[in-house]
Amino acid sequence: MALDVQTRQTEGGISVVVPTGRLDVAGAPALKDAIGELVKNGPPRVVIDMEGISFVDSTGLGSVISALKQVRGSQGDLRLAAPNQQVRVVLELTTLDRVFPYYATVEEALTGF
Amino acid sequence: MRSQPFEFRASFIDLEEGLDVLHQSMERLRSATGRTLEDRPLMLFETALGEIGSNVLTHGRPPGTEKPVDYVLRFDAGVVEASLTDSGAPAHEHLAREMPTHDSEQGRGLAMARSLLDELGYRRDGEVNRWRLVKRL
Repeated sequence: MALDVQTRQTEGGISVVVPTGRLDVAGAPALKDAIGELVKNGPPRVVIDMEGISFVDSTGLGSVISALKQVRGSQGDLRLAAPNQQVRVVLELTTLDRVFPYYATVEEALTGF
Repeated sequence: MRSQPFEFRASFIDLEEGLDVLHQSMERLRSATGRTLEDRPLMLFETALGEIGSNVLTHGRPPGTEKPVDYVLRFDAGVVEASLTDSGAPAHEHLAREMPTHDSEQGRGLAMARSLLDELGYRRDGEVNRWRLVKRL
């Protein structure tokens, strides 16, 4: 099951990246590519909507870390929204929840961003 | 929840196909035992299985080999166990790998799997690696 990644812009100029499927060793390159495209166009504010991610593995998590580095490296910022239970467990297990404070919904992530 | 024994066997050679099969086998186990996606112990087991499975599928089929990865998933008496056999290079040196720093983009898989399972077994058996993942549900 390949990872599908869609991107939309809010009226406030925030990019909402919406991956759907498994964010694993097979799906991670698609997320990296989508973030790479956003960074080309200047400092992005990015929300990754995780609601459609059914499963994440350590390589998928690595692609999110890569996204954070790319976005912050271009003076932008990145927030995660709506991770499911499995994604939250992986973030907590790796203590990456300290690096990625996540939001319950996309709307919450967009507020004040 | 039902508790009759369950067994699933498969062999695969392709990364995406193999990952699909691993997750499909977990779906079948949930269905057979009446467990849901929210069942936390099984979710932790599936997370560990995804880590070891992706390692095996990525590193366990050296160029030129035609040998597939062999996979067995069993559930009996409240214990779920998976075995994966691959023909990659010996993996002893990676087993004790610790969780890397926050900014590292790789190297978490084995540390995650160890912490999620009751037992993560590995042995080199001739020319193959044998992995054994065990969790009491």
